[in-house]
Amino acid sequence: MTSACYLTYSCKYCRAPGEPGKVDEVVVGIRPDRFLRDMPSKVERWKDETYGLEIRDHLERFAEEGFSAIPDDERDAWFERFKWWGLYHQRKGQESYFMMRIGTPMGRLTPEQLRTVGEVAREYATGPVENPEFGAAYADFTTRQSIQLHWIKIEDVPDIFAELESVGLSTIQACGDSWRNIVGSPVAGRDSDELIDVWPIVEELHDRFKGNDLYTNLPRKWKVAVTGDRRGAGQGDINDLAFEPAVKEIGVSEPDSEARQTASDGGEEVAGFNVNVGGGLARKEPRLARSIDVFCRPENAAAVAAGLSGLFRDYGDREDRFNARMKFLVDEWGTEKIRSVLQEEYVDYELPTAGEGLREEYDYNAGRSDAPGDYVGIQDQADGQNFVGLSVLVGRMAAADVIELADLAEEYGSEMIGLTQRQNVIVGDIADEDLDAFLDEPLLSDYSPDPHPFMRGSIACTGTEYCSLSIVETKNRMVRYARWLKENVSVPEGVSDFHIHLSGCTASCAQPQIADISLRGMKTRKDGGAVEAFDVGLGGGLGENPRFADWVEMRVPADEIPGYIANLLEVYEAERDGQESFREFVADRDEDELSGLAEPEETSYEDPYLNNTKMTWYPYADEDDMSASPAPTNAKGDPMPTDD
Amino acid sequence: MADRVLKVNAFTTFDLLEGHLEGHGFTEEAFATLNVRTARDEPEDVTLELELDNVSLDAVPAHADRVNLSAAEARELAGELADAADRIDTTEEDES
Repeated sequence: MTSACYLTYSCKYCRAPGEPGKVDEVVVGIRPDRFLRDMPSKVERWKDETYGLEIRDHLERFAEEGFSAIPDDERDAWFERFKWWGLYHQRKGQESYFMMRIGTPMGRLTPEQLRTVGEVAREYATGPVENPEFGAAYADFTTRQSIQLHWIKIEDVPDIFAELESVGLSTIQACGDSWRNIVGSPVAGRDSDELIDVWPIVEELHDRFKGNDLYTNLPRKWKVAVTGDRRGAGQGDINDLAFEPAVKEIGVSEPDSEARQTASDGGEEVAGFNVNVGGGLARKEPRLARSIDVFCRPENAAAVAAGLSGLFRDYGDREDRFNARMKFLVDEWGTEKIRSVLQEEYVDYELPTAGEGLREEYDYNAGRSDAPGDYVGIQDQADGQNFVGLSVLVGRMAAADVIELADLAEEYGSEMIGLTQRQNVIVGDIADEDLDAFLDEPLLSDYSPDPHPFMRGSIACTGTEYCSLSIVETKNRMVRYARWLKENVSVPEGVSDFHIHLSGCTASCAQPQIADISLRGMKTRKDGGAVEAFDVGLGGGLGENPRFADWVEMRVPADEIPGYIANLLEVYEAERDGQESFREFVADRDEDELSGLAEPEETSYEDPYLNNTKMTWYPYADEDDMSASPAPTNAKGDPMPTDD
Repeated sequence: MADRVLKVNAFTTFDLLEGHLEGHGFTEEAFATLNVRTARDEPEDVTLELELDNVSLDAVPAHADRVNLSAAEARELAGELADAADRIDTTEEDES
């Protein structure tokens, strides 16, 4: 489809200077003038100068010339732009080092791709100091089913890109203001109980919206979840756009050659999606995605996605980046207006009303007592083989283990590795006759398909190790918490997975609002000094009736959190009603009861990171003072002179 | 209790202060966060925002307070804060 561009001056989107242009493949009603007319913010101006695919040329130029070639007064602008290609400059004290994010749609990789990730991590993701828990090189699996590597030098980026792209991986739009990594169940198409195999749809969306000029420059990030299973594993509730599985009976007059006939009234029962928009956890304003009363056939998913991301592109707030999220546009407009504008300006077919969803079946991170809330363990595939979900504590795996896992997967004939939103990993396609041997592999003693419940449900964000925003140490602390809980706290009967999400600040990278126990970084005073601490929330999760955590404690010293959890679980076990899940137990209690439910307490747990790790250049360095940092460094990692 | 109103991260000016609240017939104490912020682009004023931890408060609901200062007012406030800090330093020197 082609439609006339509204502009009569140079438009970078249709590249037709001086006269009305033509916009390729555009949904009806695109209004590029809306986002070119007002570009008030600094970031918008940077983006208007250079953004999208063209950033790569500059990245390669800086890689050739070295980090110091980036002019001091342009660094903020370039670092903002580099995000589009998956590169975040690390925090103060780590100048010249980057985090690199590799977007893997629905977390799916082949063993070959996983091996390449491990090899890139081993070769390039090493810094000046080792992490005491994870060693010199590792990969992080994120809550959006991507992969993050740290200590990347810009000089190495072209070689890394070449290695990744040689196996079909990319960092494109892994960060920045555009379509992010699409999330969903990695086992789509293999799951023995799903409504729709969404993998072909996600591949189509990924191919269409990555590197597409029309959607390159959105007001902010655009997060999409596509769910076709009965588990709710896409966690669409916390995404800008969620395709949720649904069925709808549609009159036979509507064209759909693949729909199946039903007997009820002569209509056709079509398997597709209900469309929800405006979910998200950030900015201390969590929202669940809201229904716009639209049913979408699988073949229309791309058109609806194009329409809604186009609507956000054109009407999202470009004056205030804090307000530039779909959830706030939905707040402002209401769902009826979103639907009507989508219908009138962006989609050229009549949108059906919503169908019947499967939400009551959802069990992923749902806090149910009758079903696990994750993919850990051995499960049947539709083809008679098995997939094996392995627990990866806080989502971090040593580079050598990544490579070993890839080799194992290949050896056992797997064609699919899956990264889950709970920071775990799945190995698909294990035949029945190979299952015992696979489970006996030594690597699975570290990444278990049958982990202790406290090792199984822990999620942590990056924290002060690398992040500019965090105010507390996270991953290593969560590892220590999990180990201490395993050794010292009895698991309440019937509990197989217990979700603790630890975030380093009020940003929501560890999704703290949707956990059994939510920990969010703060500071407090203890024994006369400032120490790292956590606000504590309880009882959040998704599923049939999603709800955000109730915040019940503020500024609990980090070394008293394990004691608090131990006391809390003791109360839960003593006072719960039958097989009531922890989440149900919390939901049944009011604010006052929850606040007094348990007391923080010092225990035998020892916390080596209590003292303001954000002031260090690296929390685990022997000499951790900011002045001891070797950064910025050159391509070889040698310190470079600075003006300071 | 309610969630915090203000976000808190490494860019927050103070994430751990001791605050006091006084009304007619009541006083309360709580830890507090205090933050100075301006718009990223073409700021027109300075916002000073304060939140006392609501878990410690009974008399008022969870909330944050904000005041907007012009550039001149912000400098005047900074000057008075600096003068007050100097007086503390001077007192400490006299006592030592």
